[in-house]
Amino acid sequence: MIKINRLHKTYGNSEVLKNINLEFSKGKVYGIVGENGAGKTTLFRCIAGLENYDGEIISDVNPLKNHLGLLLTDPFFFSRITGKEYIRLLCNARNKTNIDIDDKNIFDLPLNQYASTYSTGMKKKLAITAILLQENEYLILDEPFNGVDIQSNIILAEIILKLKELNKIVIISSHIFSTLSDTCDYIHLLRKGEQIKSVEKLEFKNLEQEMKTMTIGNRIEKFDLK
Amino acid sequence: MKDYFYLQFVMTNRKIKEAGINPLLGFVLSFVAFVLLSEYIFQKTEFAKYLVILTCLSLQFKLSEKNRTDFLLSTFGDNIKKKIRIFENVIVSIPFVAVLIYKNAFIEATLLLVIAIIIASFSFYTNFNFSIPTPFSKRPFEFSVGFRKTFFIFPVAYILTVIAINMGNLNLGIFSMMLIFLTSFSYFAKPEQEYYVWVHAETPKTFLKNKISTATKNASLLVVPILIILLIFYPIEFELILLFFLIGLLFLWTIILAKYSAYPGEMNLPEGMLIAFSIYFPPLLLAILPFFYNKSIKKLNVFLNDKN
Repeated sequence: MIKINRLHKTYGNSEVLKNINLEFSKGKVYGIVGENGAGKTTLFRCIAGLENYDGEIISDVNPLKNHLGLLLTDPFFFSRITGKEYIRLLCNARNKTNIDIDDKNIFDLPLNQYASTYSTGMKKKLAITAILLQENEYLILDEPFNGVDIQSNIILAEIILKLKELNKIVIISSHIFSTLSDTCDYIHLLRKGEQIKSVEKLEFKNLEQEMKTMTIGNRIEKFDLK
Repeated sequence: MKDYFYLQFVMTNRKIKEAGINPLLGFVLSFVAFVLLSEYIFQKTEFAKYLVILTCLSLQFKLSEKNRTDFLLSTFGDNIKKKIRIFENVIVSIPFVAVLIYKNAFIEATLLLVIAIIIASFSFYTNFNFSIPTPFSKRPFEFSVGFRKTFFIFPVAYILTVIAINMGNLNLGIFSMMLIFLTSFSYFAKPEQEYYVWVHAETPKTFLKNKISTATKNASLLVVPILIILLIFYPIEFELILLFFLIGLLFLWTIILAKYSAYPGEMNLPEGMLIAFSIYFPPLLLAILPFFYNKSIKKLNVFLNDKN
C-alpha cells in the first residue's frame, strides 16, 4: 500500500501540487492523467523521494524507494554504456546479481551496443526491461508507451496485467487514453496540481468523453484551420 | 540561407554569453588564442601544418554528421543544403587556411580548401555500433564508461613502462603507474544524474563502501601489470613502488569522496584546493578523507534514505 496525505509541493512561489490525497493498493493498476504541467511527474518524483514536499507519503515497506521501479519519461543514458551494462548497473543497485540478461531480453534489444545509439523507443524499452528485472514491489511508469512501437506496446500492456496478477502496485501516466483504459483499475485526473477526479473502470468512457470536451472546447474553431 | 547563418551567429553569441563572457570579447579572445596557439605549434614541431589541417578537417567532419545534414536536407532542400554545407566548411577553413598561407604552406592551404568543399557533399555517421570491450562489465559504470573514453592512454602507459625498464629509469615507470591512476581519477570528475544514485537500495555508508571497493579493484586491475613489472625489475625499491601505489589508491578514494561531498553539484574550488594541498603534503589525506566522508554521507542521505 502507498498512502498520500495532504501532499503539497512548491517551487519558489509556484505551487505545483495542491493537497493531493491518494491511496494505492496491492494488485491494482492506477492511471494518472493530466495535461502537460499538471504535476504528474512531480507527483511521481515525490513518491520516489526525489523531491522534498509537505504532507506525508506512507508505504507498507520502508524505505519505499528501495522497492520502487521508476521509469522516467526521458531516461538518461551514459554515452558509452552498453544496453546489457545498463541493465546490470540497475540490477546491481538492487542487489539482483544472478540474472541471465540475454535470456530476459523480451524486446529483442541489441544489448551489446551502446545505449546512447538506441532510438527513443529502444531506450524506453531498455529502461523498462531494467526496472522489471529489479523485481520491484511498486512500479511508477511515466509515459511508458510513448515512442514505443505498437508490438512492444502490446507486450507492455500484457506485462502490466501480469504485474497486477503478481499483486504489485503499478502507477502509470500516459497521454494515450486507450492504453490506460486497457490496463488500469482506477484513473486519477490532475489539473494544475490539483486532484480533480478519481474514477473506476466502469466510468472510464465518461471520463474520456469529459476530457475530450473539456480539452478541445472551442480551440479548433478559434484556430480557424484553412 | 541568410536566416540560417544569422541564427547560427545568434546561437554562438548565446553560448559565449552563457560562459559569462561578452560575445565581442569572446571573439577577440578566441582570435588571439588561435594566433598564439598556432604560433606555438609551428615553433614546437615541424608537423605543425599537418596538425592544422587535421584539426580543421575534424571540425568539418563534425559538421557533416548524418543527423545534422539530414535536418538541413529536410528543412532547406538539396540545393540550399549543399550551398549551406559548402559555405559552413569554407567559413571554418578560413582561419586555418590563413595560418597556412602566413606560414608559406600554399599547397597545403589550397588542398585544405578543396577538401573542405568536397567534404561538404558527404555525410558521416559518428555513432558506431561497435562497442569497446572492457574488463569492468560485472559492475559497470565509471570504469566501463571511462575506460572506453580513455582507452588510448593504457597502451601508452604500458609502453612507457617497457621503455622505463629498457632505459633503467624507475621514475618513468612510476610516472606510467601514476598516469593510470590520474586517468582513473578523471572517471569521478563529474556527478552522475541523481537517478543513478537514487536507484541504489543502500545506505550512504554501503553506497560509498561499494563505490570505493569497486574503484580500488578496477584501478588495481589496470595498474597491476605495471606494478608487477616494476617490482620484478626493481626489487630493492619495492617500498617506494608500493608507497606510490598506496598514494594512488588514497587519492582515488579522496576523489570519490570529494565528488559525493559536493553531490549533486560538481566538485568545486574548496574540494579542489583541499586535494591540491594534499598533493603537496600527502599526509594531509588522513584528515581530508574523514572530512569528505562525513560530508558525502550527509549529501547522499538526501537521495538514498527515504524521507517518508
